[in-house]
Amino acid sequence: MAKILEMPKLSPTMEEGVLTTWHKKEGDAVAVDDLLAEVETDKATMEFRAFDKGTLLKLLVPAGAQVKLGQPVAVLGNPGEDISGLAVPGPGPSPSPSPSPSPSPSPTPTLTPSKHAPDTEAPPAQRVPRTASVLDRTEQLAEPAPVSRENGRVMASPYVRRVARELGVDLRGAHGSGPGGRVLQTDLEQLAKSPAPPRVGGDGETTARSMVRADVATLQAPGIYLAEPEVRPLSMMRKTIARRLTEAKQTVPHFYLNIDVDAGPLLDLRERVNEELARGAREGDEVPKLSVNDFLVKACALALLRVPECNASFTPDAILVHRRVDISVAVAVPDGLVTPVVRNADQKSVAAIGREMRDLAARARAKKLKPEEMQNGTFSISNLGMFGIDQFAAVINPPEGAILAVGRTRDEPVVRNDVDGSAEGGTARTKTVEPGKRLALTLSCDHRVVDGAVGAAFLAELRGLLARPMRLLTG
Amino acid sequence: MKTLRFREALREAMIEEMERDDRVFLMGEEVGHYNGAYKVSEGMLDRFGEKRVIDTPIAEGGFAGIGVGAAIVGLRPIVEFMTWNFSAIAFDQILNGAAKVRQMSGGQLTCPIVFRGPNASARQVGSQHSHAMEHFYATVPGLKVVAPAFPADAKGLLKTAIRDDNPVLVMESETLYSIKGDVPEELDTIPLGVAKVVREGGDCTVVAYSRMTHVAIEAADDLAKRGVRVEVVDLRSLRPLDEETILASVHKTHRCVVVHEGWPYGGVGAEIADRVQRLAFDDLDAPVLRVSTLDVPMPYNAKLEQLVMPQPGRVVAAVERLLARGRS
Repeated sequence: MAKILEMPKLSPTMEEGVLTTWHKKEGDAVAVDDLLAEVETDKATMEFRAFDKGTLLKLLVPAGAQVKLGQPVAVLGNPGEDISGLAVPGPGPSPSPSPSPSPSPSPTPTLTPSKHAPDTEAPPAQRVPRTASVLDRTEQLAEPAPVSRENGRVMASPYVRRVARELGVDLRGAHGSGPGGRVLQTDLEQLAKSPAPPRVGGDGETTARSMVRADVATLQAPGIYLAEPEVRPLSMMRKTIARRLTEAKQTVPHFYLNIDVDAGPLLDLRERVNEELARGAREGDEVPKLSVNDFLVKACALALLRVPECNASFTPDAILVHRRVDISVAVAVPDGLVTPVVRNADQKSVAAIGREMRDLAARARAKKLKPEEMQNGTFSISNLGMFGIDQFAAVINPPEGAILAVGRTRDEPVVRNDVDGSAEGGTARTKTVEPGKRLALTLSCDHRVVDGAVGAAFLAELRGLLARPMRLLTG
Repeated sequence: MKTLRFREALREAMIEEMERDDRVFLMGEEVGHYNGAYKVSEGMLDRFGEKRVIDTPIAEGGFAGIGVGAAIVGLRPIVEFMTWNFSAIAFDQILNGAAKVRQMSGGQLTCPIVFRGPNASARQVGSQHSHAMEHFYATVPGLKVVAPAFPADAKGLLKTAIRDDNPVLVMESETLYSIKGDVPEELDTIPLGVAKVVREGGDCTVVAYSRMTHVAIEAADDLAKRGVRVEVVDLRSLRPLDEETILASVHKTHRCVVVHEGWPYGGVGAEIADRVQRLAFDDLDAPVLRVSTLDVPMPYNAKLEQLVMPQPGRVVAAVERLLARGRS
């Protein structure tokens, strides 16, 4: 489709310019940003470059012509295109020689004399403002826009949309009694009587809340009373949890690795450390106590240093293996959970991690955490031990590649090898059973990042660290 | 309960406040010896004497400025404009004096002044004397603007205005001065910024104030005969604006028409339409419409004047449009 090129505004104050030189001639191919001409403006000689590609079909002003802003200067189109249908205006009234004539030979002007009196004063395609009637413009509704029913746009008032969402009514294909077929409040009753089939994979409009209501509505039969559920609107946190976990569970291929470790050495160490801390605390001070979780944060951090493949994120083009160990720790708060991050946990002492966790958890419960304190972790720990859970699998917290789910420490008979004291493997000659402490750990892995063997390697490191937990204090 | 005319209610408010606080005084053109151009201040000169009921020359810029100065130094003036149209001459005193002094002095000075007088159209007073000036003033931070429709509200709001430490502009109406209404025997102040639902209904909200509240009620009566139940919200106060009452009503009716005198470009109605569409978007079943004075200077010709002013019939038509009845 051929188009007319107009003199552009080449300086802020330009109103007209002298087209001194054409750099293209008729028939020339033009690429975007090709130099078309040079124009002397009130400020300087400026380059007039092409915005579109095509073939220069016709030059409308000769070199040296004085041209007003917006005046047509050339026609651009496809080679051989018929431009007779194009309303090509005649030349401006003043193709007068430039005050500073171009030294380059001017191409022969190829002007088609227009039969119509040209009106270069009027900018082309001037928009005529629509004049609204002064009489009652604020009292009239806008003419309904012609709506193509094919494009699927439903005409419905905002109120109707809201109610439809809440009732689970599908508005697709609905035609209402309002202007232009807009669905109005009065049409809702009819629509609600013919409920559409529930949407599969919805478009986000069908909220859980409306589905509950719709369920109740459809189950409500004469003679049967179903108490309506208490409707608890979603808090921002609830919405975020829902969105992120749905995304995680639907887009991240999870798999799970379970181990059950001997927690005895860790619990012994913790007891000793806490005793020392209590002894070292000044009178009146609150005695800081380290939790099993504080040790586990450190243990995971050290294990991740040794198996960095588990400290990684999947992206469409590459796996990012992090050079920092930032452990997100899930903290239950009223109405949900948050995951504050312990930064550089590998470089911090267990005591420092403990202090930081107490501060983060307190502020999490008070909803005082800053967003940046909950972002950009590289690995997560979720511990439900304090809630009496033996073992569970957690949902990965993207873009992290794995999460460790920690159960409670359980009193159980433990099989010990009396040769090297290691309950796990070894070539023991005799085995004894004695009361012990067990701890179930489940690693959820993003299979795009972490394969089974890598996950197993991480858990082996972890198991080793927990077997000799003194290394958590020295590592 | 007693029955008072609008002008009597205003007078009672001024008398009670002047007796309560000797810093309060009234000044304006013809307020004293002539007993008020619209007899609002009838008898007040005799009662309070020339020091507290002061006739001024025809010089709005001057006496509005004197009022602002008096307020700054500790008095509580009531400045009556013979009509709000004439306040155009005193606009600078109100805009740059009264409205600004508290903020620009960092709170060291206050300007407890009341400007009052009839506003908007009357009967054939011509284009220069028919302005709805509240739109100009309600846009100014630092000013409060009230526009009562009933005698009791006129009394209660004027008393509150006089006690307020900020400039308050009271928009009255020449054609409302004679209407009667019930006023409690012991009426104290009515808080600024609280609207009143004067007619309940579930089909459409009509927001109005001052004389237009009566137009809205007339339209509501007419629509009721056709089975349409309109809820009329009488704003009473334009700034501060009782957003809550408006939104609660729209939440119920899902439709909103704003009726006011004054031109359709900008103004109080546009402000309300903005808030409704922004804050009650999901409640709306139809766009917000405004019925206002048409976008022309007020004609003198009586029939044309009626055509240009908002009429109940136009409110009825707007409501029906929103209900998609008799679509046009």
